[in-house]
Amino acid sequence: MSSTPRVKPAVDNVPADFGSVTAHAAEQMAHFFDLYAEFWQRGVVAAEVKELTRLRNARITDCGY
Amino acid sequence: MSDTPLSPKPLIEGLPAGSQLEGVLAHRPELLERYRQFYLGLWQSGFVPVRTLELCRVRTAYIHGAEAELAIDHPDAPLDTATRESLAAGTLTSFAASEQVALELAEQMPFNHHGITDAQVHQAVSAFGEAGAVTLLTALAFFDVTCRLKLVWSLAVEPAQQQADLLV
Repeated sequence: MSSTPRVKPAVDNVPADFGSVTAHAAEQMAHFFDLYAEFWQRGVVAAEVKELTRLRNARITDCGY
Repeated sequence: MSDTPLSPKPLIEGLPAGSQLEGVLAHRPELLERYRQFYLGLWQSGFVPVRTLELCRVRTAYIHGAEAELAIDHPDAPLDTATRESLAAGTLTSFAASEQVALELAEQMPFNHHGITDAQVHQAVSAFGEAGAVTLLTALAFFDVTCRLKLVWSLAVEPAQQQADLLV
């Protein structure tokens, strides 16, 4: 996997991260961030459990981000 | 994996009629509403042709063997039998160049995401623009997610129209 960004940021003079790259499609990604925030902020599963599974998933998929 | 479909909860009042997937997600109504808005947005963005997205969705479903997903036909991009057979076989040569770029990424997203190369992403940017590449790669990830959810929840195959409502 590449160690350099494959898509440049949508905004000048900022690092290429998930937010700045996906900002190329800002309207639809706003829906993604709404969905992701809803997942984290509410529900019956404890945040600690969600975080454990998120970290485990990152290990399994070898996602250093 | 269980052969018994998970019984979906009846849809909550105020939400449009939908599929079993929506029925299960309706256990968390706010999550369902946001999932729906996001998923619809991928199809309606205009950055990637609907046919290209539909080809990728169906190919992803074949990779997973997700019958509940394969039962859907997008009403705005119906695929004929020959096209479906090509997707089932993973034979991409008959598709337009930009569609092949997208399908080659779709091929790798479920089980070989680390195998995606710089060149492939650059080709996607060339074919669809930066907003299109972001849209395409995000859509591919969620086609993968949707197949996994349907398989893990053992959702039954249902009439195509109910599920196609999710795509438009």
